[in-house]
Amino acid sequence: MSELSIVGKSLPKIDAKEKVLGQAMYAADLSFPGMLYGKIVRCWKYAHAKVTKLDFSEAAKVPGVVKILGPKDVTQNVYNTGVLDVMVPEPVGQMLGDLEDIHIFSDYIKHQGDKICGIIAKTEEAAERAAAKIVVEYEPLPVYLTAEEAAKPDAVQFHPAKPGNKAFQLPAAMFPNNVYGWGDAEAEMKKADLIVEDTFYVPKQKQCQMEPHAYVALYDAQGRLNCWTSTQMPKCVHPKLARLFGLPMSRVKINQTTVGGGFGVRLGMISEPECCAMAMAVPGHHVKVQQLREEDWVASESRHPGKYWMKMGFKNDGTPVACQAKFVAYTGGYFTQASGVPFTTGAWLLGTYKYGACNYEGEAYFTNQVPCGAYRGYGNPQTNFPSEQLIDRACSKLGIDPVEWRLKWHKGIGDDTWILGFKYPSCAIDECIAKGAEAIGWKEKRAKYANQTGKKRRGVGVALATHTSGAMPMLLEHTTATVKVNEDATAEVIVNCSDLGTGAHTALHQIAAETLGFPMEDVHMLVGNSDAAGFDIGAHASRTIYVGGLAIKSACEKVTAQFFERAAEALECRTEDLEMKDKKIFVKGSPEKSIDIKTITTLGVYNFIDPATGKPIGHPGQIQGYESFFPPHHSPPWSAIFVEVEVDTETGEVKLLEFVTAYDIGRAINPKSVEGQLEGGAQHGLGNVLTEETYYDKNGLCMNSNFTDYKMLGPSDLPPMKVILVEQPDPLGPYGAKSCGEMGLVNPIGATANAIYNAIGIQFTESPITPELILKTIKDKGMTY
Amino acid sequence: MKTRSITLYVNGEANSLTIPVNRTLLQVLREDLGMPETKYGCGTGECGACTVLLEGGKSILACLTLAATMDGAKITTVAGLDEDGKLHPVQEAFVTEGAIQCGYCTPGMVMKSVSILAKNPKPTEEDIRRELEGNICRCTGYVKIVQAIQKASEVMASTR
Repeated sequence: MSELSIVGKSLPKIDAKEKVLGQAMYAADLSFPGMLYGKIVRCWKYAHAKVTKLDFSEAAKVPGVVKILGPKDVTQNVYNTGVLDVMVPEPVGQMLGDLEDIHIFSDYIKHQGDKICGIIAKTEEAAERAAAKIVVEYEPLPVYLTAEEAAKPDAVQFHPAKPGNKAFQLPAAMFPNNVYGWGDAEAEMKKADLIVEDTFYVPKQKQCQMEPHAYVALYDAQGRLNCWTSTQMPKCVHPKLARLFGLPMSRVKINQTTVGGGFGVRLGMISEPECCAMAMAVPGHHVKVQQLREEDWVASESRHPGKYWMKMGFKNDGTPVACQAKFVAYTGGYFTQASGVPFTTGAWLLGTYKYGACNYEGEAYFTNQVPCGAYRGYGNPQTNFPSEQLIDRACSKLGIDPVEWRLKWHKGIGDDTWILGFKYPSCAIDECIAKGAEAIGWKEKRAKYANQTGKKRRGVGVALATHTSGAMPMLLEHTTATVKVNEDATAEVIVNCSDLGTGAHTALHQIAAETLGFPMEDVHMLVGNSDAAGFDIGAHASRTIYVGGLAIKSACEKVTAQFFERAAEALECRTEDLEMKDKKIFVKGSPEKSIDIKTITTLGVYNFIDPATGKPIGHPGQIQGYESFFPPHHSPPWSAIFVEVEVDTETGEVKLLEFVTAYDIGRAINPKSVEGQLEGGAQHGLGNVLTEETYYDKNGLCMNSNFTDYKMLGPSDLPPMKVILVEQPDPLGPYGAKSCGEMGLVNPIGATANAIYNAIGIQFTESPITPELILKTIKDKGMTY
Repeated sequence: MKTRSITLYVNGEANSLTIPVNRTLLQVLREDLGMPETKYGCGTGECGACTVLLEGGKSILACLTLAATMDGAKITTVAGLDEDGKLHPVQEAFVTEGAIQCGYCTPGMVMKSVSILAKNPKPTEEDIRRELEGNICRCTGYVKIVQAIQKASEVMASTR
């Protein structure tokens, strides 16, 4: 590969200046003449109830109220907020049992915050006042907060298609015996010298993106439904809204606004349907919906909590002969992603280590919690907590160093990835482990912390993870890119790829500029306009740089090929005799024989007839490159994370002392952005294992839907972080790049749990590992050393 | 609702307003004055996205401030920090150090950072982290935000 001039540089993000000046427009910042306000009236009192009476009469009298829409005043079509309906073929969706079970407004309340009706008013205040005057009477129903409760034979049934409230089980038609994996783990387990086994609880973590959900919609005089939204997936929301409202896609436009944080919460739709339904009731008026933070908490999806049973068998030399696991997810009141998450949770387990046999079962049950959906990591955090701890338990019992075990037993090139049958095209985890262990001082610290006696005890832990770069072939991966070259030899890259704040647009811009041979300022990204750009599945599965980058790279290569063809025509030589530098194409070895790209692009557009010859000057036609791209693979990245903690055995507090992540990125298109993803991911991951859980009371009402009671780690809680980027280019990724969006969140979890284990000799089967839990466990179990 | 007439200076411009007494400074800035650069993140003073500055560099939370109490106050928002398009050293450092991801906390975070440096031009990393506790960022893990404030501190010291 020739030397790179733009890829690999930590350029400032292309939208950083507008953000730091306060000029970036988020959905809530939009305002239009005559704009009306929409208020979604939600059920706050109950988590499971039937609405027996709904009376608008007093609310309608509030000055400023324009219209109130109840369950029967909107389309009766149902939907799923997720996007599996777009991402998998219909027969697969049927096998998975995917369900569309959400009404825009409903008289059956399945979780706190479920939607009853919508108020359209001239001011936000009028809408709020009217909401307070809506009379609703309920018939409360029993509340189920766990799978065990929901599965009881006498439980109220959530959906006729899902007997026993079992929303999902790996279907036998796709997974023989409802099991994903290889070998007969139960039989292989008999060969083990040591078996470690436990049942774990993993928490209902909330994304807590800083921008609360907001939308604007307009049903215009051309009969088009326009929606301004910060969805991660504008081109999935596009067909979904069209279908929901019975419109052709040509009459729906999605304007993607600046995204104020995603982390999966904006994967698919949230309240676009309600906002659009209200806009369709008042044609010609923009309707804005702005959710409050507390509302955001109950209106949008979270990570799947659940029970995770896991059993591993080892030979005395550490050989992992078998792994059996079963995750039972509590999916919440609606189906949402009840099939996707319980599948992938096990897939990550399969992708990481070379168990002799590995059998995973995944299920999901309806509960009366707020529905769960996509959250950065998509099942991988759930798997990291039990699996990395059980490995360390076994290492401890067998007297094997946890780093040595991982070096020996991780999967790699030639082994199956999380999609069995697909082989790792690259894997730099050995280098990651070596560099990370050295950076944290693994050997010295493990030796030092072996026999502690004080009240404050230190420990160091390690965990690995692997993830993915897009979800091909499990899900559709498709990006279209159009690169339009202006007559002055500058370029417009037209895509619907999303940037959730990750710097994805900057990295894609760098890939485009690098491939075109243009400086950054001669390229512009046109994004967020569903009219202008073709299909893109959206930001999910850490796929934007890998799939979007490959699509853009290919479209740019189609542009440069045309540059060369036209230069060859002008210089009367063969394309293979030419090379390009500084926006000029010249004959190799004869730099005086050259043509500027700008001359080619100008003549292409302004293809005048030469009055002297009567013939056109130059080759006619504005140059464009178009690619509709489906990737051949999902090149998984890897990482090794090392965490050092100090546990105060008197208070139960865990102090994070040091954090090292060594990451197999393939190639960092923008190293500073990659670091930012890993540092930010660590904040979520460390929070997942130590503090973050959405708590419910026995009635299913959320107890901590705010930033005071839901504890995220703050700047003083977080440890110094060292990020090591290991760059061994992947053979398939754009310029060798693999993904970094999600995985930064995953293995801080296992590494922290293992560091605590190293410090006090106790493993926790429940997360978050709060000070209360630590104290209680120390009291119950005593410290083993 | 009772109203009160006030003069509110925002980024150097005087605004004469008659506003209901229950209206917050955040609502007045965003909705009445059409200045959406100051963000709503929680409305309850927990996240810091609405941080603006008073004269003298003290930071306040616009979501917890009743606008009617701000008669005569001189407010600076993130849109009023630059001088003729030249970024304030804190803004510049946020851009160059990679301290911005989704950008939603950025206006509040930048204003808080300016106030930290007004109070203590040479803060230690520990000082910065402690002062930032009221401003939540969910994207960066704070690493590059802390680095940006340190960088701005250096730049401001060298140009003072």
